[in-house]
Amino acid sequence: MQIHEAKEDGVLIVAVQGNVDTMSAGQFEARLVELIAEGSHRICIDCSAMAYVNSAGLKGFLVAAKELDARDGRLVLCGMSENVRAIFDMIGFTQIIAIVPTREEALRRLAEPAAA
Amino acid sequence: MRKGRVMHEGSIKIRLDAQLPEVERLNRLLRHFGELHEIPGRALYSMNLALDELVTNVILYGYENPVEQKIVVSLEASAGSLTGTIEDEGRVFDPLSVSAPDLSVPLNRRELGGLGIHLVRSLMEEVTYRREGSKNLLSRSGKESAKLNS
Repeated sequence: MQIHEAKEDGVLIVAVQGNVDTMSAGQFEARLVELIAEGSHRICIDCSAMAYVNSAGLKGFLVAAKELDARDGRLVLCGMSENVRAIFDMIGFTQIIAIVPTREEALRRLAEPAAA
Repeated sequence: MRKGRVMHEGSIKIRLDAQLPEVERLNRLLRHFGELHEIPGRALYSMNLALDELVTNVILYGYENPVEQKIVVSLEASAGSLTGTIEDEGRVFDPLSVSAPDLSVPLNRRELGGLGIHLVRSLMEEVTYRREGSKNLLSRSGKESAKLNS
């Protein structure tokens, strides 16, 4: 697994590449928690190069969503393959985490003022 | 994946030490096997994930002492169906005995624990499970190409 980070208009884009599995999920979750603690409260996780995610990886996404929720921050995921999206759906994450098809749409969502 | 493509028949048997890094090796072998046998993406992903979660569970919770313990995983593609088998000497665990998770609770009340079991439990709608002695048998049959394109 590799993580690529970039800033665009105050939004942190985290592009995750490869397999977010039992061996790599700890590093993924720890980096997200660190970035949020450092003040990144609008985050887009681009999953277009994420080939595989298991429950350990899903926990990382949930931890990030909870951390941001507690800080009035926002998380939008984008670029998921159909297979990965099906897993997020299966575990009920599509109901609690914003997921959009493209990075452009994610950035548009994150640019909008927060809902009252 | 094109509609109607038929996967090749074949099988693989993998012997693992009961240690977490072995799960990564298992996943890589399953993916290679899946690609070479042209197993439809969704079927391969579901089976890989179910085997990954169950083997991880056996390694983490199956033994008093996992040293020297072996787990044998088999995958067979035959006549349009996919059958995965896990053989282990760990304590018996039936994922179907776990109740279905409540997915309607809001984000701040979603629990971090038990995601693996939730996932296995949910995958059972796609992958059937039964236990035979020391074997965990998982199977997923037919209709792959139709499902993929729906």
